[in-house]
Amino acid sequence: MSDLTLTNITKSFGKVEVLRGIDLTIRSGEFVSLLGASGCGKTTLLRIVAGLEGVSTGKVEIAGADVTDLPPEKRDIAMMFQSYALLPHMSVAENVRFPLRMRRVGTREEQDAKVKAALETVQLTHLADRAPRQLSGGQQQRVALARAIVSNPKVLLLDEPLSNLDARLREEMQVELIEIHRRIGLTTLFVTHDQDEALSLSDRVVLMNAGAIEQEAPPREIYDAPATAYASSFLGAANLVPARIAGGLATLADGQTLPIASGAPDGNATLALRQENVDFLSEGGLAAKVITRVYLGSRHRYILDLAGQTISVLAPASVMLEPGSEARIGIAPDRIRILPG
Amino acid sequence: MVRAVPGWLRIAAFVFVLLAAIFMLAPLVVVMGVSVSESQFVAFPPQGFTFRWYENALGSPAYLGAFWLSLNLAVLVTVSASLLGGAAAIGLSRGRRSGGAVETFFLSPLVLPSIIFAIGLLMLWSAVFGATSFYALWLAHTVVAIPYVIRTTLAVLAERDPFLEEAARTMGATRLKRLWFVTLPQCRPGLLAGAFFAFNISFDEAVLSLFLRNPNLTTLPVQIYGQLEFSPDPTVAAVSTLMILITVALMLILERMLGLTRFASG
Amino acid sequence: MTDRRETWLFLLPGLALLVVGFIFPIARMLVLSVQGPDGHTVDQFARFFQDTFYPSILWRTVYLSALITAICAAIGFPLAYIMARSGPRVRLWLVIMVILPLMTSVVVRTFGWMVLLSRSGLIASTLRDFGLVGRSFQLMHTETAIVLGMVQVLLPFMVLSLLGVIIRLDPRLEEAARTMGCSFLQTMRRVVLPLAAPGLLAGSILVFTLSASSFVTPALLGGPRIEVLAGSIYKNVTQTLDWNFAAAQAVILFAGIALLLIPYLRLGRRAHG
Repeated sequence: MSDLTLTNITKSFGKVEVLRGIDLTIRSGEFVSLLGASGCGKTTLLRIVAGLEGVSTGKVEIAGADVTDLPPEKRDIAMMFQSYALLPHMSVAENVRFPLRMRRVGTREEQDAKVKAALETVQLTHLADRAPRQLSGGQQQRVALARAIVSNPKVLLLDEPLSNLDARLREEMQVELIEIHRRIGLTTLFVTHDQDEALSLSDRVVLMNAGAIEQEAPPREIYDAPATAYASSFLGAANLVPARIAGGLATLADGQTLPIASGAPDGNATLALRQENVDFLSEGGLAAKVITRVYLGSRHRYILDLAGQTISVLAPASVMLEPGSEARIGIAPDRIRILPG
Repeated sequence: MVRAVPGWLRIAAFVFVLLAAIFMLAPLVVVMGVSVSESQFVAFPPQGFTFRWYENALGSPAYLGAFWLSLNLAVLVTVSASLLGGAAAIGLSRGRRSGGAVETFFLSPLVLPSIIFAIGLLMLWSAVFGATSFYALWLAHTVVAIPYVIRTTLAVLAERDPFLEEAARTMGATRLKRLWFVTLPQCRPGLLAGAFFAFNISFDEAVLSLFLRNPNLTTLPVQIYGQLEFSPDPTVAAVSTLMILITVALMLILERMLGLTRFASG
Repeated sequence: MTDRRETWLFLLPGLALLVVGFIFPIARMLVLSVQGPDGHTVDQFARFFQDTFYPSILWRTVYLSALITAICAAIGFPLAYIMARSGPRVRLWLVIMVILPLMTSVVVRTFGWMVLLSRSGLIASTLRDFGLVGRSFQLMHTETAIVLGMVQVLLPFMVLSLLGVIIRLDPRLEEAARTMGCSFLQTMRRVVLPLAAPGLLAGSILVFTLSASSFVTPALLGGPRIEVLAGSIYKNVTQTLDWNFAAAQAVILFAGIALLLIPYLRLGRRAHG
């Protein structure tokens, strides 16, 4: 059973094509992240699901019904905005009741019970009578979340809800979102530009680039096995090094070779090397020149020149190499991702 | 305040502000002083203290009639300008960008001197309806008050979260419900401030009222103007003082409810 | 109903009122100014420029307005700067000091000046007591009286226009200028004044326009002999009942103000774009 099906969605603003044929199906209870750089069309896609934007072509189905031409107020959805969009003239409880009141859900008593339950879920029962402006950013964010889940929508839409919080609060909220989702299991579409958020929260990550889906896969898979150069560079800042593949060996531009896992076809390719997967060796391996060392507290980041290519490598704080000196580095063959081209 | 301002400049600034305050407020203080002076000639500083001129003013049918006309007019102008200006502000706030042609048109009565529009309105009204009437004044004052309501309301709407209406849509609010539960509550402080300004403008307006006046249509400022042209006396000072006090009261309410500075620099 | 249609529904009543109550009257005035007993004519304009009387009124209107605008700018800029950079409490009092007179009827304020400027009034008698002026010294019914009264009436417009701009200026710009070697006054001249220019321009246009078109204060303080254009219009409408000539004079005023406004709108647009 799928709660949300998008079929061949395109969207143009004037001559600018923002979405170029998006197909996406989200199963009931699934938590899916739309991940991408700003301008990739992810927010437009979310707004199309909400009904706040129309489509140029394509079809939106929620719980099996075609809602492409329905306005947002007639769709069974809830959306949480980046700015939270709390109604400033209403108390916290009135804000949370708002969707129930607008959709005429149940009697006054039933609404009270639902509001109370939603506020309990986000642990804000004690602030029910406050005005939104009296709350901290984190608390406002919880109110917005309570307001989004109170009507038990078919699809919950989250538009970068954590981006206005500071780092510590954001991590707390991530944990809380996971817990709440596990408990009430709403079908959720989550827009973010933060790869950590996408990886840690979702059942499935949909990576978007220039109005199209680049890759969609569970978090571990998309991180460990990015399908394209864009995916590997967007997720986890991989270094891309061109090479020639022949007989289980990759030859770099300067003639150095390194072993790779079997199965890659011969020819030109790009090696995607994650910065945390590169090891410093005392001898052997590949020669690279140290350009800069950056102290990060628990670790060092080294910027190296490898066969004319600038790469970034993370090393333990104990590794001390001076800029200008030569480093020996190695990468386990099964950690090298080989991309065509 | 940027630190490290030379000391002599700080003193100069203080003296300057003091002089400016005296310059701005002296005419009002003088009028108030004359109104309680025992002398039957207009004189300042006041001699003695009396409320006689207030009794005089309140017993004068001419002043009382003018006062009721001005009050009726101001109340009706407040209602009409708030309704039309408020609606226009909501419409304008939904436009793509501010400062468009429609907004410029709505605010043009602020830029164009009212004397030009006053003479045109007098001529048009005479051609169509003959003698000027209360409705002519109501129309004229509404036209000049609308831009103030629009400006205060737009200023408030510009500060709101632009996603509120969309959020309300995703929560199932239909068009009318969005207007009632989201937009109007957002407009409230701006509308209130605009209403205060509209009342004050209509109650104090002299130019349009002078052009459109006739013997049965004399507002309070026109009545005062006539007296000043003829011969100023302490009674007109008493009436003027009452007008100043009404303005002060309006300003106090505005400041208490909404804060003056907010609308002063918009 | 589409969102566009709804937006127009909000705008329409106000637009309709403005067209009927604002545009139609102005059009009517324009038509009357070129209407004579036998159809269209420019006689009214010819009459205005025929002898030196009306041109001298026009000239007085222009130079008094320019003088008033200059004085308002000279007082208004430092006042607005002090307001913008003082704490909220002080600023509130200064705003009250500016707005209270603004919101008081112009008739009442002019009355105050009549009392202050009269032969036996506070200013004249003080000057006499110090022996600075002769016994026959007279302030009422002079151009000085008009300028004094008008500056007080119009200064709030200048101050508020400037305040709106200066209050949005980042004070760190001034601090940066100071660290780069500007003295306080140099900072004013090189940083604040250029950035406040749009407010100064808007305020100046507003003050000049209002000044050129006002007649209540000039009529009461200047007396019948020192006439300005707006006063002449009022007299022609209410006393001599020569409406066509009044309309022609209003058109001359209108045209002068339009000439002033058009370059301003250009400048404003350039500043935005």
